[in-house]
Formats: sequence, C-alpha cells, structure tokens
Amino acid sequence: MHGYSRPLAILVLISLLCMGLSISMGSAALSFADTWAVLTGNGTPLQQTLILELRLPRTLSAFATGGLLAVAGALMQVLLRNPLADPYILGLSGGAAVGALLAMLAGLAGALVSGSAFAGALLATMLVFGLAHGTGSWTPSRLLLTGVVVAAGWGAIITLILAMSPARQLPGMLYWLMGDLSHAGNPAPALALLVLVCALVLPLGRSLNVLARGPLQAAALGVTVRPLEWLIYVLASVLTAAAVSMAGSIGFVGLVVPHMLRLVLGNDQRLILPACALAGGTLLVLADTLARVVIAPEQLPVGVITALLGVPTFLYLLYRSR
Amino acid sequence: MKHFGLIFVVTLVVCFPLPGLADDLCATDGLDHKVCLTAPAERVVSLSPGATELLFSAGAGDKLVAVSAWSDYPPEAAKLPQAGNSNRLDLEAIVALEPDLVVAWVDGNSASQLAKIEALGVPVFWLKPRTFEDIASAVERLGVLSGNEKTGAGRAADFLAGIEQLRDRYQEALPVRVFYQVWHEPLMTINDEELIGRAIRLCGGSNVFGHLPRVVPRISKEAVLEANPDAILSGGEDSDDRRWLEQWRQYPELAAVAMDNLYLIEPSLIQRSTLRMLEGTSQLCRTLEEARARL
Repeated sequence: MHGYSRPLAILVLISLLCMGLSISMGSAALSFADTWAVLTGNGTPLQQTLILELRLPRTLSAFATGGLLAVAGALMQVLLRNPLADPYILGLSGGAAVGALLAMLAGLAGALVSGSAFAGALLATMLVFGLAHGTGSWTPSRLLLTGVVVAAGWGAIITLILAMSPARQLPGMLYWLMGDLSHAGNPAPALALLVLVCALVLPLGRSLNVLARGPLQAAALGVTVRPLEWLIYVLASVLTAAAVSMAGSIGFVGLVVPHMLRLVLGNDQRLILPACALAGGTLLVLADTLARVVIAPEQLPVGVITALLGVPTFLYLLYRSR
Repeated sequence: MKHFGLIFVVTLVVCFPLPGLADDLCATDGLDHKVCLTAPAERVVSLSPGATELLFSAGAGDKLVAVSAWSDYPPEAAKLPQAGNSNRLDLEAIVALEPDLVVAWVDGNSASQLAKIEALGVPVFWLKPRTFEDIASAVERLGVLSGNEKTGAGRAADFLAGIEQLRDRYQEALPVRVFYQVWHEPLMTINDEELIGRAIRLCGGSNVFGHLPRVVPRISKEAVLEANPDAILSGGEDSDDRRWLEQWRQYPELAAVAMDNLYLIEPSLIQRSTLRMLEGTSQLCRTLEEARARL
C-alpha cells in the first residue's frame, strides 16, 4: 500500500488547488486576496455571500458529483468487464431524468426535483436488477443487455415528456439533461457518501482486482463472485443516483476518468478507486469553473465542458500509451 | 359574334387576374416577403397565441377558422378549433381547412412546416415583433389583408399613442436599476433588445443585464448579487406565484430586498407581443414608480 501514497498525495494537492481556483473565480471579479480574506473570516458581506454561500457549496457539490461518478464508473467497468461501461449504461440516469422531468412538468423545483430524480434512479436500478435476475442465472452480460434495453425505454419516455412539455419549461429540462450544477443543494451528504464508499471498497480492492480478470479466475482464487457482484452493483447504483440527483446527467466523467487513471497508474483497484474519487472531482470542479466564467455573466451547462476537457486529454493519453 | 371577344377578355380577367389589377391587398410581412391576396382573407389560420390576439385586434377575429393551442385571449379565441401547438403544427388539419391566409410567428413556428403550406399555394404572413412599432404595424397590415384596414390602422395608432404617452411621462424619471427574472432553473433574464427590456427602458428603468449580447441570457445568482439591482421583477410561473421572488430574500444585502422591491408582473400582459403590451407596460411603469419611491 505504501507505493500508493505518492500519487494520491499529488492528486489531493491538485484537487485542493483546483477548489481554491474555483472559489476565487466567477462572474463577480474577486482577487485571490479577497478570497483569502473571506476564508479567514474577513471581507465584505457581499464577498462573504458570494464565496461562502454561492461558490463554496457549488464547488464542493461539483467535487462530490465528479468523484461519485468516476468511482461508480470504475466499479461498473469491473462489474461488467466492459471498457465502454459507464455509470449510466444500465439506464439509471434515464430513470432519474424521467423522475426529474416529471417533477419539473408538475411545476416543482429545487429539492423536490432532486428527490424525484433520486427515486427515479432507484426505481431504474431495481427494475434492471429484477429483470436481469429473471428466471435464469444472473450474469454480467445479461445485466448489461437488460440495462441497455431499459435505458432505451427511458430514452423514449424522456423524448415523449420533452415533446409534450410547454415551450417555457424546455430550457430548464434541457439544462438538467445536459448536467447543471447551478441548483445543487447541500454537498455534505454526497461528500460523506463518497468517503464512506471509498472506505468500504478499499478492503475489497484485492478481490476486485481478481474479479476484473474474470469470474472463473476469481472463483478459482477463492473470491465469492456472486455476492461481490451484487455489492458492486448496489454501490455503483447508489453513487450514481446521488450524483445524478444533485447535478443532472453529467456525461463523460464516469466513463473516461477511470480509463485515464488506468493508463497512467495501472489497473490496481486499491489505487484506482480513491484516485477516481479525487480526479473525477477535480475534473468536474475545473469544468464547472470554466462553465461559470467562459462567457460570464452568462452560464454554460457543465456537461459540455467535461467533454471538451476530457476528450483531448483522454486521446492524448491513449495515443501515448503502448 | 361581336361579343365573343369581350366575353373572352372578361373570362380571362376573371380566371387569370393580372397582377397589376388585383394588387390592392398587399402587405410586407416580418420576413420582408410581400404577401398579396386577391380578395380580403375570409378563412384565416393563426399559428401562435400572439398571432391570434393580433388578428382579433385587427378586426379579423370572425375570419379565424383555426388557432394554435394556448390561444386563450380574447376568450372567444379559446372556443375556436385548434391546429396543433406552435412548435408542432398539425399540417393536415391546417390544409384541410383550406385557409386563404396563414399567420405564422418566426420565434415559434417551424419554417420547414410553413414552407410545405406555402408550397400548397396558401399565403403565409410571418410575424416578427421586436419593437412596439412592429406590433402596431402588424395589426395594421393584418387589417389590410383581412379587409379591416380602418379598424387595424385605428387600433395600431391608439396603441402607439399610448406608448408615446408613457414614454413622455417616464423618460425623465430617476432611473431604477432592474433585474427581470424570466425563469428560475436555469436563471434567465432578458436584454435591452427584448420587448420586456424595451418596456423597462420606456418606464425609466435600466436593465442591469441589458447590455448582454443574447436576447434571453442565462446568468448566475452571483451576477445578480454583483449587479445589485434596485428592483427585481418577474412574471413568475403563474400569475400569483411569488416563489421565485421570495427566494431572493435569503440575500438581505441586495438593495432590492432591503427596499422590499420584489414585484410580480402579470405575465400574460407583458410576455406576449400584442396590443395588451400597452396595459402591461403601463402596469410595469406604475410598479417601477413604486420602486422609485423607495430608493
């Protein structure tokens, strides 16, 4: 384990720097000195509101969301043994989106939309799990197929809701679907969940490493495959549900961050999972900062920026690797 | 036999009217296309709630054979048959009504759907209301096309006179710095180009986001806090829904909150570009006058 502390320490440092950058930047011009003054308990009331009530919760929400998505993506890739797996591949974001859009259609806002999204995500999880279990045996490929088809079903319902909604409602709905952190609430529960899950899966790291090589080898090496797979599925689903209900379906983070880290750090889950939490969080904090300031005071949806930042980085790493 | 020649010419004129002879019902639409009718329109289809209102204002309400969904003003408009909603028109229903004029709206209707209607030989009049003058002249021109030239011109003139009166009364007033909230999630406002933005300026208000390049910019709460407006106005989600306004009270350092300048503006009067904008604008002016008194 000692070989892991250096990369993790570097990642912690980078995340702290990025969070500092994020709370110092925004459409209102504040200097780093102003930010420091506010953090040490000084500054004008306006500066305090801007930094402590608007930017800090949003930055922490971005970090938590990115971390949750990246860890969920890494777990899904191990579970399905499929490099294309991401947190949304089993239709969870579709269920969450249907929940959120129905709440918006009913004129609800804020925490009620998030709650409805969370309920939709859990419903989607249980639906896929129940159907994949079916009458036969439960295999990752069966889970994958069930999830992909259920996701297509959710997609159709989303399109139907968008087509039936009054034009006034559409911008809000589209921003939710593209991923948007502007209405993220209190980040504390999500951060706690992220820490908790990382602590929970770390002892399982060795079993996960074996499972990533295939269920037969894992079984031969004494891993109880089926319960482990269930646990991964449940954990990844809860992580994704929490992320999606905070910030809508932000794509790309969950797919690409685990791959990026594997290209750089190798495929040891004991290192990859905590690194995912840090790097995924950092990517989303950076992306959200850019989304807030690129055309300030106008705002962009953060999902656009995650892909614009992530695609070239990932392609570079892939090109460089052998 | 002598008359045959005359009969021939008369038949020719009746069946194939020469452009020069029947050009008396022409109007240029919002896209600068010349729309010409051989006779006043008798069967009109309106493709947006705003177009419906403008047609009624032009005295052509009794000529309407179908309207788009949400056409709820004047009340008799709601009783008319519907031809789909503005974004997704029921082309078949529209064509089956054999209209002699279709009134479309550039910001809502699909140009490709309207191109199909036009290809079937139905004249399409596009509305593109961007200013108070555009609204007035749309009523005037719809009056011409529906054979109600006097009604249309009269109502258009009354409207512009009312707007001028407001301009005269408020243009020298002390400027009130205004934030107009269009939507809450995402937070959206309007710039000076938008009609509501124009109404705010007319009433002696100064829109804190008026300079932004996009007509309906999406902004952050932070930008609102920094701009620190003297008054926050919103149409709300419904006409008596103050939720969006009340949310600003969590920032007591905002001048608008400190002065209790959080106002709900009746959305139907100001969010549709029709002659009712005059009533909406004069309400807006009275609201800003109230806000001004608290500065």
